[in-house]
Parts: sequence; structure tokens; C-alpha cells
Amino acid sequence: MSMLDTAQCERLVRFARLMVPGGQGMPSAEAIGLCGDPVDEVLAIDPTRMEGLGRILALPGEIGTMADIEALAQRDASGFADLGVVLANAYFMHADVRAAIGYPGQEARDSSAGLTNADHALLEPVITRGSIFRPTPA
Amino acid sequence: MSGATHTDALVVGAGPSGAVVAGELIRAGISVTILEQGDWVPADAFDGARRQWELTQLRKWHPNPNTRGRPEDYPVDVGHSDVNPLMFAGVGGAALIYGAHWMRFMPSDFRVRTLDAIAEDWPFTYDDLAPFYAYVEEAMGVSGQDGNPAYPDGAPTPLPALPIGKVGRKAAKGMNRLGWHWWPGSNAIPSRPWRALQPCVLRGTCGTGCSDGAKATPDRTHWPDAIKAGARLVTGARAAEVTLDARGRASGAIWIDRTGTRHEATADVVILCANGIGTPRILHMSDGGAGIANRSGMVGRRLMMHPFAAVMGTFDEDLESWVGPAGQILTSMQFYETDASRGFLRGAKWNCMPAGGPQSFRAGYGDGPLTDAWGLNLHENVRQKFGRSFEWGIVGEDLPDPENRVSLSDSLTDTDGLPAPAIHYRVSDNTRKMLDFHIARAVEAMEAAGAIETAITPLIRDCGWHLMGTAMMGDDPETSVVDAHGRCHDVPNLYVMDASTFPTSSGMNPTATIMAVAARSVLHLIEHRTDVERAA
Ligand SMILES: Cc1cc2nc3c(=O)[nH]c(=O)nc-3n(C[C@H](O)[C@H](O)[C@H](O)COP(=O)(O)OP(=O)(O)OC[C@H]3O[C@@H](n4cnc5c(N)ncnc54)[C@H](O)[C@@H]3O)c2cc1C
Ligand code: SF4
Repeated sequence: MSMLDTAQCERLVRFARLMVPGGQGMPSAEAIGLCGDPVDEVLAIDPTRMEGLGRILALPGEIGTMADIEALAQRDASGFADLGVVLANAYFMHADVRAAIGYPGQEARDSSAGLTNADHALLEPVITRGSIFRPTPA
Repeated sequence: MSGATHTDALVVGAGPSGAVVAGELIRAGISVTILEQGDWVPADAFDGARRQWELTQLRKWHPNPNTRGRPEDYPVDVGHSDVNPLMFAGVGGAALIYGAHWMRFMPSDFRVRTLDAIAEDWPFTYDDLAPFYAYVEEAMGVSGQDGNPAYPDGAPTPLPALPIGKVGRKAAKGMNRLGWHWWPGSNAIPSRPWRALQPCVLRGTCGTGCSDGAKATPDRTHWPDAIKAGARLVTGARAAEVTLDARGRASGAIWIDRTGTRHEATADVVILCANGIGTPRILHMSDGGAGIANRSGMVGRRLMMHPFAAVMGTFDEDLESWVGPAGQILTSMQFYETDASRGFLRGAKWNCMPAGGPQSFRAGYGDGPLTDAWGLNLHENVRQKFGRSFEWGIVGEDLPDPENRVSLSDSLTDTDGLPAPAIHYRVSDNTRKMLDFHIARAVEAMEAAGAIETAITPLIRDCGWHLMGTAMMGDDPETSVVDAHGRCHDVPNLYVMDASTFPTSSGMNPTATIMAVAARSVLHLIEHRTDVERAA
């Protein structure tokens, strides 16, 4: 069962259509099924966001333009901040979105290669210029 | 109150300083109890390897205790501060979420009065501390490149440097074009398997905890051996005050467990390692709130927090700039030393850092109009900047000012009802001028590297990573709190062995020096332990 009720979901999608539309090779937040698993997962991981999100979704008012959203944000800045966190994280945690921006996540790599010969060559001029510390009396 | 337990020594705080101190004591056969208000945090508690990494760093793993709001944290009253102090309560202390940038102070940092006629010289020199640096660097598995011309001895490290990657190469080429100093970053992150540490896997999430057991934190590097040798580490134990006997000698501490029950721990020697905020807080709370060890009036004063600025550069090529370590990829000390013609004294160290995941570019550090951050601009920002940006961070020396201070809040308490620390802290003119100068140079460095866009972060509130100066060391009991080995002038068996004792802050990340000074102090205490005046 979704953590948002139908009315909250509809309202969130209206924000999302303007805040995270599709375009430039990116899916819209609505297209990734925002109001199902993506938002539920975010709220399950950080339930402290629910209160502010619930508040901003309950504010009456048009959501037809970014100026409408700006006006709502000014009425409840912290509720809007929670909405931004939920929306952005639901979006960027989604596999399709990560694939679209070429982000594998914070993946593990081998660090043992260390500095390459080319890196050592880059260091040569620094070494050649010599010491830069300030002579300091004991 | 439950019955008292007695050990030879009592340490408050299980971060890097407490770990060094307790480890040496137990190795010398001195029984020790350690009180730590936080808990053990296993590597798999951190979210670095999980999709929610960018989400949980906003609250659960946030460095500001007021944002995190965990019961083991104490809140901080920051109503009169330009900067929020950052920390973490746990076995390992703030190192659990530190960047592991490992920097020795420079020789000049110990002699600022002699060289620049400001603040005070330290009672010892770089050369005095060098063997202790080497000692703690072994324990912490520090990786780096020997021969750094910024140091007289090249600042050798036990392990070879981590890869500098595409970001490091790009930044280095820019610095070479300008003829400016840079060096591969030194980090308390092993590039090879090292004792209990795994080799780094470059996950780049160091600042929110290492989920791979690589980053050197005392819960891996120090505590297991100390506990095996008999150290008694009590977690969920918040020290409420240091107790004194009738002659004013420290007799132990009152501490409170998570159920709110009060306990007494007695000891011949008490050593505070609760950081530059937590230590003066305990001193102020002692003796029924009248405070102790404060004949000089300097307890809590001279707080230094290293206000931080950064310049982000964006490039027109993929730099994989989410790859770690984070950790510092490169450093620069080109503008570290004083040049009075710049209009300020002392200088700053730079660290080159990766830019993190896609949400770093959602709104940056700023609060621009909504339309900048959302709509098609969201996609445009991420497309242009994600993976293609990196940062030169600027850690500037913060000069001591007695008005920048830690006192007790009269309006905020922790979960045990103890007063929260209250911070009065203003960023000085010297710091502002210093940061402006360094920002301008860092923009030049980015442009020389080929940046197509630069973004400046002049100062953020959440940058009090380094907490120093609030129980200053010195020879004169009228002007300092502790002597050159951390012993309180007023309470001869009470010691401070964290960065509270630092007379000046340098422009370096402090943990290398915190651990080296703690080692120097505790080894001195061990050597002279028969002279310690105990409580009756
Ligand atoms: C986000 C972040 C990034 C950082 N990055 C770097 C870096 O890259 N390089 C670097 O050199 N430094 C860095 N630092 C600073 C570094 O973490 C600290 O300098 C270091 O941890 C200080 O060690 P400490 O043991 O003196 O204090 P802490 O690590 O703060 O440990 C003090 C311990 O005392 C405990 N304590 C406090 N009061 C009480 C009480 N009343 N009762 C019981 N326990 C108490 C606390 O819970 C804590 O665990 C960073 C800090 C932060 C927050
Ligand atoms: S970069 Fe290395 S040290 Fe940092 S979190 Fe990843 S594995 Fe740990």
C-alpha cells in the first residue's frame, strides 16, 4: 500500500510535472511511477520527511506554473524543502534515471594502481621548483 | 546513583584523541575506563554502497548534530555563531564521518608569534612532533607520496598514494600551467590492506562513513586492541561532570546512561578527549556548574573552527567526478605562508575533491530561485555538471579570538537535561580577506585547468569540522588552561588531550596533529606517572 493517499499523490504529481518534467533525454518523474515504489522507498528510508511533505501537499492553491509553486514554497519553506528531497531522491535513485545520466552509483573500484608514470611526470615541475616552506626558527 | 567503579585512569571520549590516549595507557599497564556517549557503528550501517546514499546524508548521517538529532548527540546552541560546529558521537568520534584528509601542520604553524607577531607560539616545534606524527601515521595506514616540497622532511607516509584519477590529472595540469604547488593527497585511507583496514575501493563516500572498512577510524585502528588488552570502554555513557576531592584534585566523573541512571567512575587521573566543544562543556558543567580549571578565564575561549570556502569548476569532458576518495585527491600549499602584501596574515591549504552524485547539482550549496534548480534546468544542470565538475576546497587558518567561545546554554539541553554548549563565534576580517584572496586564486586554477564554468561558495554555515583552542596550552596559569603536556594548571591530575589545547589552528585539517599531540602528552604522563597527585 502506498504511503501517500490518492489525493496526496495527485497533488505531488502536479508538482512533479513542473519540477521534473521529461526532456533532454530524461524521463519525467511521473514516467518513472513516482507515486508508487519510488516515493514509498524514500519515505521508508527517511520517514522524518513525511510530516513536511504532508503539509505542503495539503496547502490549497493552483499548481499550474512555477510561480504557483514558488508561492506555495514561500508559505511553507520547510515543507517545500522536504518535498524537494523526496522528489529528487525518488527520481535519482531510480535505475532508469541513473542509466540515462550514466551514473553507476558510488561503485567500488581497485585503488591499488596508485600513481601512474604520467602522474609522476606531472609532478616533475613541482619537484624541480623545490621547497616552498617558510624557514622557521626552532 | 549506582556504586563507583575505580580504574587508574578515566578518559572521556572515544574519538581519535581518546583512542590514542587509552591505547597507550593500557599498553603501559595502567587500567583505564573510557566513557563515550555514542555507540559502536558497524561498517554496514553506512549507506555508501546503497542507492540511498545521497538521501541519508541529508539527515541520518549529517555532520551537524542539530540536523541529525540523535539522542546520543548533544544539541548545540548556535544562535550567536556564524558557523555550525560539526561532529559525531560514537566509538571513533567524528572520524567516523571525517574526510580522512591527513595533514601534518607546517613548521611555521608552531611559531606564528615569532614569525608573524600574532597569537602565540606553541610550546614545541614541528621537529619535536615529527616522531609522533610518524607513530600515529603507522597506526592510521596513511597513504601519500613522499617528498612533498611543502615540508622540510617531505612528510613521508607509510603507504603509497591513492590514484589521483581524471580529476586529479585535470587539476594538476592547471596548477602546472600556473607554476603553482600541488601534491597527491595524503589520506588516512590505506591504498593496500593494512592491519585491520581494507584497501580503499574509491567509493567516494568517506564523509558519510566508509561502508568498506577502509577509512582509518579508531573503532578499527585502536579500540579492538585496547579492549583486548583490558581497556573498559563504556558506550551510551555521558559524562556530566568531573568530580573533585576536598583539595581540588580530580577524583573521577559522574556519568549518565541511556536510561537516565547516574553512575560514578573514580580514577587517579582524568583525561578529557571530548573535542573542542565537548571538553570545555564538561569543564563548565563541573563543580555544580561553577566550572573548574578556569583560573585563567580561558576555558571555552579562543574557539577556532576553520571557516571554509570552495570553488567548483565544470569541464566539457567526462571526469567521472563521483569516483573517490573523498578524501583529498590533491592538495596545494602554494599560498599557505604569510605574505603581508595580500592584506591578511597566515594562509590556507587547498584540497581537490570529487563532486559526488547527481544531487550535488540540484541546488549546489546555494538558495537560488526555484526555476534555477527545477524544471528543465534540473536536467540541464545535471547534464552539464554531473561527472564533469570538481572542487578546490580552501581551509584557512582561523586566528584565535577570546570572544569566540563555548559557554553553557541557558535555553537548550541534551536528552539528559544537561545544558547544551552555546557558541559565540564571528568570522574575522582576517579570515574574510584570506578566503576572498584564495577564492580568486582557486578560480584562476580552475580556469587554467580549462573549466568552462566556475561556481564560488564563499562560506557555508555547516563548516565547523575542526574544533580547536578552547583549553589552550601554555606555561602561564594566568593565561592558559593546560601545560605543554595537557595537564590542567589548576587541577594537577586532570588532563586535556584533544584539540582544545591548540594555541593556534593552522590552515590544516587537524586530526594528524590531534593524534600526534595526544601521543606526546600521554607518553609523557606515563613516563611521569609516579609524580601524579591523586585525589584523597
Ligand atoms: C564531517 C567531518 C569531516 C571531517 N574531515 C576531516 C578531515 O578530512 N581531516 C581531518 O584531519 N579532520 C577532519 N574532521 C575533524 C576530525 O573528525 C576531528 O578533528 C577528530 O575526530 C577529533 O578527534 P577527537 O577524538 O579529539 O574528538 P571527536 O572525534 O569529536 O571525539 C570526541 C568524542 O567524545 C564524545 N563525547 C563528547 N562529550 C561527551 C560526554 N560529555 N560524555 C561522553 N562522551 C562525550 C563524543 O561523543 C565523541 O565520540 C572532520 C570532522 C567532521 C565532522
Ligand atoms: S573512498 Fe575509500 S575510504 Fe572513502 S568511503 Fe570509499 S572505500 Fe571508504
